[in-house]
Amino acid sequence: NNSSQLSSLLLQMLFYVNGVYYIFYFLATLTMIVYKSQVFSYPDDFLAPDLLVLFIMAILEVPRLYLGSKGNLTEEEAPLGLSLVLTLGSVVLAVYFLVWQTYVLRADIILNALLLSTYGLESGLKVMAIAAFVS
Amino acid sequence: VTRLCVCDLLVAQCDINCCCDPDCSADEFSLFTTCSVPIVTGDSRLCSQKAAVYSLDVEANPPEMIFKLIDQVNPSVFCIHATNYKQALSFISPEMPTSENFDRLLKQFGSAAFSAELDSWDMNTDAQNPPDANETYRYEYGVPIQTVDAFLRLPSPVLSSWCSDANPAGFLVNQVTKCTRSVSVENCGDIQALSMLFYINSSILAVSVNITVQSIAVQSPNGTRTLLNGDDVLRLPEIVEELCINIVLGVSYHITYTDAGEIIEAAAAFVLGVINKEALSIQQSFEISFAQANTELVPLSGNPGYVIGLPIRAGYRPQGYPFPVDRSSNKLSQLTLLQSTSSQECLAVQGARTPILFGYNMVSGCTLRITAAMKCKPLAQTLLDLLKGQSFPEYVASFGNSHAQDVLDWVPITHLYLSEQGIYNTFQSSCQIPVSLEIEVKWTKYGSLVNPQARIVNVTATITTTTLKQLPSGRERTIPVMSSVVFTDVSSPAVPGYKAWPTINLKLPFDFFFPFV
Repeated sequence: NNSSQLSSLLLQMLFYVNGVYYIFYFLATLTMIVYKSQVFSYPDDFLAPDLLVLFIMAILEVPRLYLGSKGNLTEEEAPLGLSLVLTLGSVVLAVYFLVWQTYVLRADIILNALLLSTYGLESGLKVMAIAAFVS
Repeated sequence: VTRLCVCDLLVAQCDINCCCDPDCSADEFSLFTTCSVPIVTGDSRLCSQKAAVYSLDVEANPPEMIFKLIDQVNPSVFCIHATNYKQALSFISPEMPTSENFDRLLKQFGSAAFSAELDSWDMNTDAQNPPDANETYRYEYGVPIQTVDAFLRLPSPVLSSWCSDANPAGFLVNQVTKCTRSVSVENCGDIQALSMLFYINSSILAVSVNITVQSIAVQSPNGTRTLLNGDDVLRLPEIVEELCINIVLGVSYHITYTDAGEIIEAAAAFVLGVINKEALSIQQSFEISFAQANTELVPLSGNPGYVIGLPIRAGYRPQGYPFPVDRSSNKLSQLTLLQSTSSQECLAVQGARTPILFGYNMVSGCTLRITAAMKCKPLAQTLLDLLKGQSFPEYVASFGNSHAQDVLDWVPITHLYLSEQGIYNTFQSSCQIPVSLEIEVKWTKYGSLVNPQARIVNVTATITTTTLKQLPSGRERTIPVMSSVVFTDVSSPAVPGYKAWPTINLKLPFDFFFPFV
């Protein structure tokens, strides 16, 4: 069976896990920003960029996962490649939350590290899938 | 962290039980019992930080101080790992003004204040708020009163006693200033600040109110002032026979405003004087006062609590009227005290009285010479009049702004009569003359803890009498007569007040049972 099916099962599972985890990540980060704004001094011109980046990341995530999943299932390289590019964008935003946020808590580090490792694993699997589809 | 020591208060001396004090030596450490500051850390919300731990090892002989520098780890998940916001964890020092950023800082933090640069104010106000004749300009307390060219000026001394003309008058800020100005007879016409024109030529903004001349008084060289009646003619300085007349010695502005904050009237009363050749400087005095239009001028002594230094408002209840009459604006029936004068003879000083100001304890007195010829009853009456004054009021306002119509706001004055000799002498029907009046005003703090208002709760006037023994004829005796007023604070401690619980007010509508009711 494996020879006729090029789609990667692992990648598909990873997309599903990523989707669920991302929902949790989004809610947790939003709640923590609210917590930080109450407990610490968080002026508006530092709060606005953080919230903006979080929402951009959420908006990027949906097409990223959709395109990746579609590309993997239909065994086409184009959507998968596009998804890879979007993943790079999401990686940069996750690094923002890891390093350049106004207040980086230990919980932030844990969440973002998990997210980055998921992205890394996904990117690797996507590259392998693209290689499999092209050839 | 190693250098921070909260208990190190004495410089170059060892503080007791302060383990982090660098001035302490080993023998002093051996005298400590415990460490008052066991640990010094930074912000405890950080994930990992350095901490200096001080402890005393009591088992060693002699006890020694142990210092350890450890890394303290915050186990919570929500500890701060890093911040990209500098002011988050510490106070930053404010910017030091230098010649480059001074203008920017002044624009950011400066406000309408005494400024020698009248031109800059002009440009600012013209650019932002072009004076619009149709628009009424409302003033707030303290805002400089604008005129057509700049501000209404009240010359006042700055640093030294010389007059400076750039002091703006603030709205509703009653000011009295005195300053010195250098003059000379030759160019007395050239100095602008000596002529009346300087003070009335600008019209106050807010629908261009012109400053009218209310009255002119002329002060002669020996100090007597005469009021010129009739004309409001502008009198300018002129040189007459080596004297310069019509120079301004004092200006008193009266501004009338409405309750919306607009100025509707402005009047100035002048005192003009004369200088001669030898005069090098004169003293000018300026005053500005504000009055609200269409209100009676009853000077309040506080709003609502009494202000220290303002006179106590008192009144009496006329026959047939239920309300006390507030006569404190009429000086004759204020609560007053005998005033000590240079001649200490009581009967010579008739009518010299000083008003009682809230918060100021006063003592005054005089000596009474009693001759044999004096009769008891008239003497007692005269002394009573002397101590109490012509019209001693019956009621005192408990708040500085009590209205005459609120009967409950007025405190009756209680009178007590004491005899100096004690009670056992009251059976003797001898002559008793009052020798001392002591007014005790009990006041309390009323209202909120952060802004307590003074409220008078009790006024007691105690008259002490003494027996007047009959003197053999020809002899004289002097007795001291004293009056005093004492203010006592009888405030009870503050009690916390909480808002009432909200109540649920459920009621059925009027026509709920419509068809049946």
